[in-house]
Amino acid sequence: MIKWFKSINWYRLNRNLHRDIGYFCIGFSIIFAVSGIAVNHIADWNPNYAVERQTKQVDDSDWLTLDDQQIIQRMQSSFDLTQAVKSSFWQNKNQFEVFLDDGDTLFWDRRQHQVSYQDIEPRVILQALNKLHLNETRNAWVYFSDLFAGMLIFLALSALFMVKGKHGPAKPKSIVLMSLGVFIPAFFLFLS
Amino acid sequence: MKTKQFIAAAILLGSLVGTSQAATDFGEGVNRDYLVPVSILMASPEDYLENAVTIEGTIVGVCEHRGCWMTIASDKRFQTLRIKVKDGEMVFPLTARGKKALATGQLQALRYDLEQTREIKAHYAKEAGEAFDAASVTEPMTMYQLVPTGVSILD
Repeated sequence: MIKWFKSINWYRLNRNLHRDIGYFCIGFSIIFAVSGIAVNHIADWNPNYAVERQTKQVDDSDWLTLDDQQIIQRMQSSFDLTQAVKSSFWQNKNQFEVFLDDGDTLFWDRRQHQVSYQDIEPRVILQALNKLHLNETRNAWVYFSDLFAGMLIFLALSALFMVKGKHGPAKPKSIVLMSLGVFIPAFFLFLS
Repeated sequence: MKTKQFIAAAILLGSLVGTSQAATDFGEGVNRDYLVPVSILMASPEDYLENAVTIEGTIVGVCEHRGCWMTIASDKRFQTLRIKVKDGEMVFPLTARGKKALATGQLQALRYDLEQTREIKAHYAKEAGEAFDAASVTEPMTMYQLVPTGVSILD
């Protein structure tokens, strides 16, 4: 047993594992990195939907004499829309909202004499990546995510034993770089 | 070989995209036995704080960025009730607006002091394009929202 143990080339085994696990993690890393950037900037933009708004002034002087269906037709014709209508809602006596079949909405502001059209386009790929990143799928993905986290820990630790000589981990440059990986997060913790 | 690679990539991408569109049920499911019209609930909300309730109505608002809340229209004109979850616990799709939803959960009271009440009312007045006089608000208010354990969006 000891003989067998000693016969293993640990340096080579570590390099091979680091290489193969690294290949395996490429897809995971890209998914988490891309959606991580998207979710990080959630205050500045919507990572799940592209939302465009257009507003038009309308002559709505006689609209209050119409029923809801007729008002909806007028609102749709303001933007040449033909989508089916899911439902409508009076927010208050001056604001009327119409929900269209594909998630778009029309909004009539009676005081401003304006109709706004909100066009919603799901960012399909990014939405799917975010869903994985934020673990909305739950279930089996929890185990895959844990496995990925474990593999990242292995990649980090095995990297210490990848290179010997002047670029090894005990050299000053390597120690500085490793220390930065600890001090930068610690600095932001200190600031918070 | 290239065909196989293309098929593998398409399956991976398809499964990812598929997961984003399938789910219309969130959490532990809804219980119709607890169904209470929103207008009844809002007429005496303090009576319902201790019990699980289910509400039903059209979704008229969704949190655009995080999908962490939805507004449900009441059976009473101009009245709504907000459903609120912790970020990421359930993510409601923006495209759900206009669909019917059922939600089971606990009604929560948000009690504001006078200063906060004035700020909130000023915000609502601005949104509605109405004039607002802070001095007209003399009483602190309580708002109610449903913290759901289960939500079902009906297609």
